[in-house]
Amino acid sequence: MFYFTFLVLIGLVLGLVGVASNPAPYFAALGLVVAAAVGCGILVGHGGSFLSLVLFLIYLGGMLVVFAYSAALAAEPYPETWGDWSVLFYVVVYIAGVLVVGGLVGGDWYSYSWVVVDEFKDLSLLRGDFSGVALMYSLGGAMLVVSGWVLLLTLFVVLELTRGLSRGALRAV
Amino acid sequence: MTPVHFSFSSAFMLGLMGLTFHRTHLLSALLCLEGMMLSLFIALSLWSLQLESTTYATAPMLLLAFSACEAGAGLALLVATTRTHGTDHLQNLNLLQC
Repeated sequence: MFYFTFLVLIGLVLGLVGVASNPAPYFAALGLVVAAAVGCGILVGHGGSFLSLVLFLIYLGGMLVVFAYSAALAAEPYPETWGDWSVLFYVVVYIAGVLVVGGLVGGDWYSYSWVVVDEFKDLSLLRGDFSGVALMYSLGGAMLVVSGWVLLLTLFVVLELTRGLSRGALRAV
Repeated sequence: MTPVHFSFSSAFMLGLMGLTFHRTHLLSALLCLEGMMLSLFIALSLWSLQLESTTYATAPMLLLAFSACEAGAGLALLVATTRTHGTDHLQNLNLLQC
């Protein structure tokens, strides 16, 4: 489990390097998929199974489908992969930068252990994050209503932005 | 700074540097923003999980809802830009006449 946690931590950084090194949007979306998947691994390693499930289903299932659809708008005949020199230069620079900063702050990495939620708790019926998220429906009801309202507002924002050129928010003057 | 904290902090900084330095496509910038939001989600989740303050576990859920709004608005801007300018290269946004 120790090595698994280290593996997913390295995978998170490498996934973000793959996004940030400016390849074509197809491959950047692939790097984001890798980063989200290993992010689920990190949360599982800390005991947050419900948050991990939400991240996996909502993020990967919902958002990245939209990103893959939108990547078709940015289609290129010859997309840049991570093997091209302009991208590979940034990959090497970013990895070297992470290693240098890690070497600088790595002196006082105390206790290579990690804390799992509810580790020292006996006789708990629910996992910690299950009962925590469930509070959103009782005490945090106001924020739930606000979030729902913001999502509804975003729907109208999207409809207004993509309405067309004749009328709406965006016009070709 | 434990390796977990260093990992998501460097992930956030990598997303920020990618958003700052590379602006070929608008979609690449949006993907870097999503990577930053992903690292923030992981950071908030790890905060509530490591400190066992489990009432705080609603905060990453709300962050995920708001980041969905941000992604939706950004992708709508991408579609609108592609419609008006024909491409999503950010250099074309500087043109005086489309």
